[in-house]
Amino acid sequence: MTLTLLEAALLLFVVGCAVGTALLEDTLAAVMAFAAYSLGVSVLWLVLQAPDVGLTEAAVGAGIMTILFLLALSNTVTPDADRILEPVRWRTVALVGGFVLLIGVTVPALPAVSDPTAPVASGEVTTYYLENAYEQTDVRNAVTAVLAAYRGFDTLGEAVVVYAAGIVALSVLRREVFA
Amino acid sequence: MSADDVADDVDGDGAGGGGAEPGNGPTEADEFDDRPGLYVESTVIMTTVRVVAPFVLTFALFIMFHGADSPGGGFQGGVIAGSVVMMLAFAYGIESTRRWIDVRAVVALAAGGVLAFVGIGVGAIVLGGQFLQYTEYERLLDHASKYGIELVELGIGAIVASVAIGLFFLLAAGFTHAVEGETA
Repeated sequence: MTLTLLEAALLLFVVGCAVGTALLEDTLAAVMAFAAYSLGVSVLWLVLQAPDVGLTEAAVGAGIMTILFLLALSNTVTPDADRILEPVRWRTVALVGGFVLLIGVTVPALPAVSDPTAPVASGEVTTYYLENAYEQTDVRNAVTAVLAAYRGFDTLGEAVVVYAAGIVALSVLRREVFA
Repeated sequence: MSADDVADDVDGDGAGGGGAEPGNGPTEADEFDDRPGLYVESTVIMTTVRVVAPFVLTFALFIMFHGADSPGGGFQGGVIAGSVVMMLAFAYGIESTRRWIDVRAVVALAAGGVLAFVGIGVGAIVLGGQFLQYTEYERLLDHASKYGIELVELGIGAIVASVAIGLFFLLAAGFTHAVEGETA
Protein backbone atom coordinates (compact mmCIF):
# COMPACT_ATOMS: atom_id res chain seq x y z
CA MET A 1 0.00 0.00 0.00
CA THR A 2 1.37 3.39 -0.95
CA LEU A 3 0.37 6.67 0.59
CA THR A 4 0.46 10.02 -1.10
CA LEU A 5 2.11 12.82 0.83
CA LEU A 6 -1.29 14.42 1.50
CA GLU A 7 -2.78 11.21 2.87
CA ALA A 8 0.24 10.56 5.07
CA ALA A 9 0.15 14.12 6.42
CA LEU A 10 -3.59 13.87 7.12
CA LEU A 11 -3.21 10.51 8.87
CA LEU A 12 -0.40 11.90 11.00
CA PHE A 13 -2.52 14.96 11.85
CA VAL A 14 -5.54 12.82 12.78
CA VAL A 15 -3.54 10.46 14.97
CA GLY A 16 -1.75 13.39 16.59
CA CYS A 17 -5.06 15.10 17.38
CA ALA A 18 -6.49 11.85 18.77
CA VAL A 19 -3.52 11.38 21.09
CA GLY A 20 -3.76 15.05 22.04
CA THR A 21 -7.44 14.66 22.92
CA ALA A 22 -6.59 11.77 25.22
CA LEU A 23 -3.54 13.35 26.85
CA LEU A 24 -4.27 17.07 27.22
CA GLU A 25 -4.96 18.01 30.82
CA ASP A 26 -7.07 21.10 30.08
CA THR A 27 -10.59 20.02 29.06
CA LEU A 28 -11.04 23.00 26.73
CA ALA A 29 -7.82 22.12 24.92
CA ALA A 30 -8.97 18.50 24.64
CA VAL A 31 -12.27 19.60 23.07
CA MET A 32 -10.37 21.75 20.57
CA ALA A 33 -8.06 18.84 19.74
CA PHE A 34 -11.13 16.67 19.22
CA ALA A 35 -12.64 19.25 16.84
CA ALA A 36 -9.38 19.35 14.88
CA TYR A 37 -9.41 15.54 14.80
CA SER A 38 -12.94 15.57 13.30
CA LEU A 39 -11.91 18.15 10.73
CA GLY A 40 -8.89 16.03 9.78
CA VAL A 41 -11.05 12.93 9.41
CA SER A 42 -13.56 14.81 7.25
CA VAL A 43 -10.79 16.01 4.90
CA LEU A 44 -9.52 12.42 4.83
CA TRP A 45 -12.98 11.28 3.68
CA LEU A 46 -12.87 13.88 0.93
CA VAL A 47 -9.46 12.65 -0.20
CA LEU A 48 -10.84 9.10 -0.24
CA GLN A 49 -13.70 10.42 -2.44
CA ALA A 50 -16.53 9.97 0.06
CA PRO A 51 -17.86 13.57 0.08
CA ASP A 52 -21.20 12.59 1.68
CA VAL A 53 -19.46 11.11 4.70
CA GLY A 54 -16.95 13.96 4.79
CA LEU A 55 -19.73 16.54 4.84
CA THR A 56 -21.46 14.74 7.72
CA GLU A 57 -18.23 14.45 9.70
CA ALA A 58 -17.47 18.16 9.21
CA ALA A 59 -20.98 19.30 10.14
CA VAL A 60 -21.68 16.93 13.04
CA GLY A 61 -18.24 16.01 14.37
CA ALA A 62 -16.37 19.27 13.96
CA GLY A 63 -19.40 21.59 14.19
CA ILE A 64 -22.31 20.59 16.40
CA MET A 65 -20.37 18.27 18.73
CA THR A 66 -17.80 20.98 19.48
CA ILE A 67 -20.54 23.50 20.26
CA LEU A 68 -22.35 21.04 22.55
CA PHE A 69 -19.07 20.13 24.32
CA LEU A 70 -18.23 23.82 24.81
CA LEU A 71 -21.73 24.50 26.18
CA ALA A 72 -21.42 21.60 28.59
CA LEU A 73 -18.00 22.91 29.65
CA SER A 74 -19.37 26.41 30.25
CA ASN A 75 -22.01 24.89 32.56
CA THR A 76 -19.46 23.04 34.67
CA VAL A 77 -16.56 24.08 36.84
CA THR A 78 -13.20 22.78 35.72
CA PRO A 79 -10.14 23.27 37.92
CA ASP A 80 -7.28 25.16 36.35
CA ALA A 81 -4.80 22.79 34.79
CA ASP A 82 -1.33 23.23 36.28
CA ARG A 83 0.38 21.07 33.67
CA ILE A 84 -0.10 20.58 29.96
CA LEU A 85 -0.30 16.81 29.70
CA GLU A 86 -2.20 14.29 31.77
CA PRO A 87 0.07 11.75 33.55
CA VAL A 88 0.09 8.62 31.41
CA ARG A 89 -1.58 5.59 32.98
CA TRP A 90 0.29 2.60 31.63
CA ARG A 91 -2.54 0.16 32.30
CA THR A 92 -4.81 2.23 30.01
CA VAL A 93 -2.06 2.47 27.40
CA ALA A 94 -1.70 -1.33 27.47
CA LEU A 95 -5.46 -1.81 27.14
CA VAL A 96 -5.89 0.70 24.29
CA GLY A 97 -2.70 -0.50 22.61
CA GLY A 98 -3.92 -4.09 22.75
CA PHE A 99 -7.24 -3.06 21.23
CA VAL A 100 -5.54 -1.10 18.43
CA LEU A 101 -3.28 -4.08 17.76
CA LEU A 102 -6.31 -6.39 17.60
CA ILE A 103 -8.08 -4.12 15.10
CA GLY A 104 -4.83 -3.54 13.21
CA VAL A 105 -4.36 -7.26 12.62
CA THR A 106 -7.54 -7.28 10.49
CA VAL A 107 -6.42 -4.36 8.29
CA PRO A 108 -4.23 -6.41 5.87
CA ALA A 109 -7.31 -8.54 5.17
CA LEU A 110 -9.10 -5.50 3.69
CA PRO A 111 -8.79 -4.74 -0.03
CA ALA A 112 -6.56 -1.81 -0.94
CA VAL A 113 -8.17 1.62 -1.34
CA SER A 114 -9.63 2.02 -4.88
CA ASP A 115 -8.79 -1.57 -5.78
CA PRO A 116 -11.00 -2.30 -8.82
CA THR A 117 -11.21 -6.01 -7.98
CA ALA A 118 -12.42 -5.38 -4.41
CA PRO A 119 -15.59 -7.36 -3.66
CA VAL A 120 -17.55 -4.21 -2.82
CA ALA A 121 -16.70 -2.54 -6.15
CA SER A 122 -17.43 -5.52 -8.38
CA GLY A 123 -20.21 -6.96 -6.22
CA GLU A 124 -23.63 -7.68 -7.64
CA VAL A 125 -25.44 -5.22 -5.35
CA THR A 126 -23.06 -2.31 -6.10
CA THR A 127 -23.25 -2.89 -9.83
CA TYR A 128 -27.04 -3.04 -9.68
CA TYR A 129 -27.27 0.26 -7.80
CA LEU A 130 -24.84 2.02 -10.11
CA GLU A 131 -26.57 0.78 -13.25
CA ASN A 132 -30.18 1.26 -12.20
CA ALA A 133 -30.26 4.01 -9.59
CA TYR A 134 -30.84 6.89 -12.00
CA GLU A 135 -33.48 5.15 -14.05
CA GLN A 136 -35.40 3.81 -11.09
CA THR A 137 -35.21 6.71 -8.66
CA ASP A 138 -34.61 9.78 -10.83
CA VAL A 139 -31.77 11.02 -8.59
CA ARG A 140 -28.19 11.31 -9.82
CA ASN A 141 -26.44 10.86 -6.48
CA ALA A 142 -26.31 7.09 -6.01
CA VAL A 143 -25.67 7.57 -2.28
CA THR A 144 -28.97 9.43 -1.92
CA ALA A 145 -30.74 6.82 -4.07
CA VAL A 146 -29.56 4.03 -1.76
CA LEU A 147 -30.21 6.09 1.37
CA ALA A 148 -33.71 7.32 0.61
CA ALA A 149 -35.06 4.75 -1.85
CA TYR A 150 -33.40 1.30 -1.80
CA ARG A 151 -32.63 1.45 1.92
CA GLY A 152 -35.37 3.93 2.81
CA PHE A 153 -36.67 1.83 5.65
CA ASP A 154 -33.24 1.83 7.34
CA THR A 155 -33.04 5.59 6.90
CA LEU A 156 -36.45 5.99 8.52
CA GLY A 157 -35.02 4.08 11.48
CA GLU A 158 -32.00 6.39 11.58
CA ALA A 159 -34.16 9.51 11.46
CA VAL A 160 -36.37 8.14 14.25
CA VAL A 161 -33.25 7.43 16.34
CA VAL A 162 -32.33 11.13 16.10
CA TYR A 163 -35.90 12.07 17.02
CA ALA A 164 -35.88 9.61 19.92
CA ALA A 165 -32.59 11.09 21.18
CA GLY A 166 -34.24 14.49 21.41
CA ILE A 167 -37.30 13.08 23.17
CA VAL A 168 -35.15 11.09 25.64
CA ALA A 169 -33.14 14.22 26.46
CA LEU A 170 -36.43 16.00 27.16
CA SER A 171 -37.80 13.25 29.37
CA VAL A 172 -34.56 12.84 31.33
CA LEU A 173 -34.59 16.58 32.10
CA ARG A 174 -38.38 16.48 32.70
CA ARG A 175 -39.22 19.15 30.19
CA GLU A 176 -41.99 19.36 27.63
CA VAL A 177 -40.26 21.75 25.24
CA PHE A 178 -36.60 22.34 24.42
CA ALA A 179 -36.11 25.22 26.83
CA MET B 1 -38.89 40.20 14.55
CA SER B 2 -35.76 41.81 13.20
CA ALA B 3 -32.24 41.27 14.40
CA ASP B 4 -32.29 44.75 15.94
CA ASP B 5 -35.08 43.75 18.29
CA VAL B 6 -33.11 40.75 19.43
CA ALA B 7 -30.15 42.99 20.10
CA ASP B 8 -32.35 45.33 22.13
CA ASP B 9 -33.61 42.37 24.10
CA VAL B 10 -30.09 41.53 25.14
CA ASP B 11 -29.60 45.06 26.43
CA GLY B 12 -32.75 44.68 28.52
CA ASP B 13 -31.40 41.51 30.06
CA GLY B 14 -28.19 43.19 31.10
CA ALA B 15 -30.11 45.79 33.07
CA GLY B 16 -32.67 43.46 34.64
CA GLY B 17 -30.56 40.47 35.70
CA GLY B 18 -28.74 39.84 38.94
CA GLY B 19 -31.55 39.28 41.45
CA ALA B 20 -31.44 35.78 42.93
CA GLU B 21 -35.01 34.55 42.84
CA PRO B 22 -35.16 30.80 42.37
CA GLY B 23 -38.37 29.55 40.86
CA ASN B 24 -38.97 32.70 38.85
CA GLY B 25 -38.53 31.72 35.21
CA PRO B 26 -37.51 34.90 33.36
CA THR B 27 -35.29 36.24 36.15
CA GLU B 28 -33.40 33.01 36.40
CA ALA B 29 -33.02 33.00 32.65
CA ASP B 30 -31.55 36.51 32.78
CA GLU B 31 -29.02 35.40 35.35
CA PHE B 32 -27.94 32.71 32.95
CA ASP B 33 -26.90 35.16 30.26
CA ASP B 34 -25.33 37.42 32.85
CA ARG B 35 -22.82 34.88 34.05
CA PRO B 36 -19.37 36.13 33.13
CA GLY B 37 -17.76 34.67 30.05
CA LEU B 38 -20.83 32.99 28.62
CA TYR B 39 -22.09 35.85 26.49
CA VAL B 40 -20.16 38.83 25.29
CA GLU B 41 -22.07 41.45 23.34
CA SER B 42 -19.97 42.38 20.36
CA THR B 43 -20.95 44.59 17.46
CA VAL B 44 -18.53 42.77 15.19
CA ILE B 45 -20.04 39.35 15.93
CA MET B 46 -23.63 40.63 15.70
CA THR B 47 -23.06 42.35 12.36
CA THR B 48 -21.17 39.39 10.92
CA VAL B 49 -23.85 36.93 11.98
CA ARG B 50 -26.59 39.19 10.63
CA VAL B 51 -24.89 39.21 7.22
CA VAL B 52 -23.81 35.56 7.15
CA ALA B 53 -26.90 33.84 8.62
CA PRO B 54 -29.16 34.10 5.52
CA PHE B 55 -26.42 32.63 3.34
CA VAL B 56 -25.82 29.74 5.75
CA LEU B 57 -29.55 28.96 5.83
CA THR B 58 -29.67 29.05 2.02
CA PHE B 59 -26.65 26.75 1.87
CA ALA B 60 -28.39 24.36 4.29
CA LEU B 61 -31.49 24.24 2.10
CA PHE B 62 -29.28 23.75 -0.98
CA ILE B 63 -27.52 20.80 0.67
CA MET B 64 -30.90 19.31 1.62
CA PHE B 65 -32.59 19.72 -1.77
CA HIS B 66 -29.58 19.25 -4.01
CA GLY B 67 -28.53 16.13 -2.09
CA ALA B 68 -30.37 14.19 -4.79
CA ASP B 69 -27.89 15.22 -7.46
CA SER B 70 -24.73 16.09 -5.51
CA PRO B 71 -23.15 15.15 -2.20
CA GLY B 72 -25.35 16.12 0.69
CA GLY B 73 -28.77 15.34 2.02
CA GLY B 74 -31.07 15.75 4.96
CA PHE B 75 -28.66 14.82 7.73
CA GLN B 76 -25.93 17.25 6.62
CA GLY B 77 -28.30 20.05 5.62
CA GLY B 78 -30.24 19.71 8.86
CA VAL B 79 -27.14 20.17 10.96
CA ILE B 80 -26.14 23.26 8.97
CA ALA B 81 -29.66 24.70 9.35
CA GLY B 82 -29.45 24.04 13.09
CA SER B 83 -26.12 25.84 13.25
CA VAL B 84 -27.83 29.03 12.01
CA VAL B 85 -29.76 29.19 15.29
CA MET B 86 -26.55 28.52 17.22
CA MET B 87 -24.88 31.39 15.36
CA LEU B 88 -27.74 33.70 16.36
CA ALA B 89 -27.44 32.52 19.97
CA PHE B 90 -23.69 33.14 19.84
CA ALA B 91 -24.25 36.71 18.64
CA TYR B 92 -27.39 37.77 20.50
CA GLY B 93 -27.34 35.60 23.61
CA ILE B 94 -28.87 32.17 24.12
CA GLU B 95 -31.76 33.33 26.27
CA SER B 96 -33.01 36.01 23.88
CA THR B 97 -32.68 33.62 20.93
CA ARG B 98 -34.71 31.07 22.87
CA ARG B 99 -37.42 33.66 23.43
CA TRP B 100 -37.31 34.75 19.79
CA ILE B 101 -37.81 31.19 18.53
CA ASP B 102 -41.02 29.54 19.65
CA VAL B 103 -39.65 26.48 21.44
CA ARG B 104 -42.89 24.61 20.74
CA ALA B 105 -42.18 25.03 17.03
CA VAL B 106 -38.86 23.19 17.49
CA VAL B 107 -40.64 20.12 18.91
CA ALA B 108 -43.34 20.38 16.25
CA LEU B 109 -40.70 20.50 13.51
CA ALA B 110 -39.08 17.28 14.78
CA ALA B 111 -42.41 15.46 15.01
CA GLY B 112 -43.48 16.89 11.64
CA GLY B 113 -40.34 15.52 10.00
CA VAL B 114 -41.01 12.01 11.26
CA LEU B 115 -44.68 12.27 10.21
CA ALA B 116 -43.71 13.48 6.72
CA PHE B 117 -41.29 10.56 6.25
CA VAL B 118 -43.78 7.96 7.53
CA GLY B 119 -46.60 9.65 5.59
CA ILE B 120 -44.75 9.35 2.27
CA GLY B 121 -43.95 5.71 3.07
CA VAL B 122 -47.50 4.80 4.07
CA GLY B 123 -48.97 6.82 1.20
CA ALA B 124 -47.31 4.46 -1.26
CA ILE B 125 -49.01 1.52 0.50
CA VAL B 126 -52.36 3.32 0.26
CA LEU B 127 -51.80 3.73 -3.49
CA GLY B 128 -51.26 -0.02 -3.79
CA GLY B 129 -47.47 -0.26 -3.68
CA GLN B 130 -45.00 -1.12 -0.95
CA PHE B 131 -43.63 1.02 1.87
CA LEU B 132 -41.69 3.99 0.39
CA GLN B 133 -42.22 2.78 -3.20
CA TYR B 134 -41.99 6.24 -4.75
CA THR B 135 -42.97 5.03 -8.22
CA GLU B 136 -46.54 4.63 -6.98
CA TYR B 137 -46.84 8.43 -6.92
CA GLU B 138 -45.86 8.52 -10.60
CA ARG B 139 -49.53 8.43 -11.62
CA LEU B 140 -50.16 11.61 -9.59
CA LEU B 141 -47.25 13.71 -10.88
CA ASP B 142 -44.19 13.44 -13.11
CA HIS B 143 -40.78 12.69 -11.57
CA ALA B 144 -42.58 11.58 -8.42
CA SER B 145 -39.57 9.52 -7.28
CA LYS B 146 -37.33 12.54 -7.28
CA TYR B 147 -39.81 14.77 -5.45
CA GLY B 148 -40.60 11.99 -2.99
CA ILE B 149 -36.92 11.50 -2.18
CA GLU B 150 -36.43 15.25 -1.81
CA LEU B 151 -39.41 15.50 0.55
CA VAL B 152 -37.97 12.67 2.62
CA GLU B 153 -34.63 14.51 2.74
CA LEU B 154 -36.45 17.64 3.86
CA GLY B 155 -38.20 15.63 6.60
CA ILE B 156 -34.86 14.23 7.78
CA GLY B 157 -33.45 17.77 7.71
CA ALA B 158 -36.33 19.03 9.88
CA ILE B 159 -35.74 16.27 12.44
CA VAL B 160 -31.98 16.74 12.59
CA ALA B 161 -32.12 20.56 12.68
CA SER B 162 -34.73 20.72 15.44
CA VAL B 163 -33.06 18.04 17.59
CA ALA B 164 -29.70 19.81 17.20
CA ILE B 165 -31.30 23.14 18.19
CA GLY B 166 -33.19 21.44 21.01
CA LEU B 167 -30.12 19.72 22.48
CA PHE B 168 -28.28 23.04 22.23
CA PHE B 169 -30.97 24.87 24.24
CA LEU B 170 -31.26 22.00 26.73
CA LEU B 171 -27.51 21.91 27.36
CA ALA B 172 -27.36 25.69 27.62
CA ALA B 173 -30.15 25.73 30.20
CA GLY B 174 -28.41 23.07 32.28
CA PHE B 175 -30.07 21.72 35.38
CA THR B 176 -31.37 25.01 36.78
CA HIS B 177 -34.53 24.86 34.68
CA ALA B 178 -35.02 21.16 35.24
CA VAL B 179 -35.12 21.47 39.01
CA GLU B 180 -37.50 24.36 38.69
CA GLY B 181 -39.80 22.33 36.42
CA GLU B 182 -39.86 19.51 38.95
CA THR B 183 -41.11 21.67 41.77
CA ALA B 184 -43.61 23.58 39.66
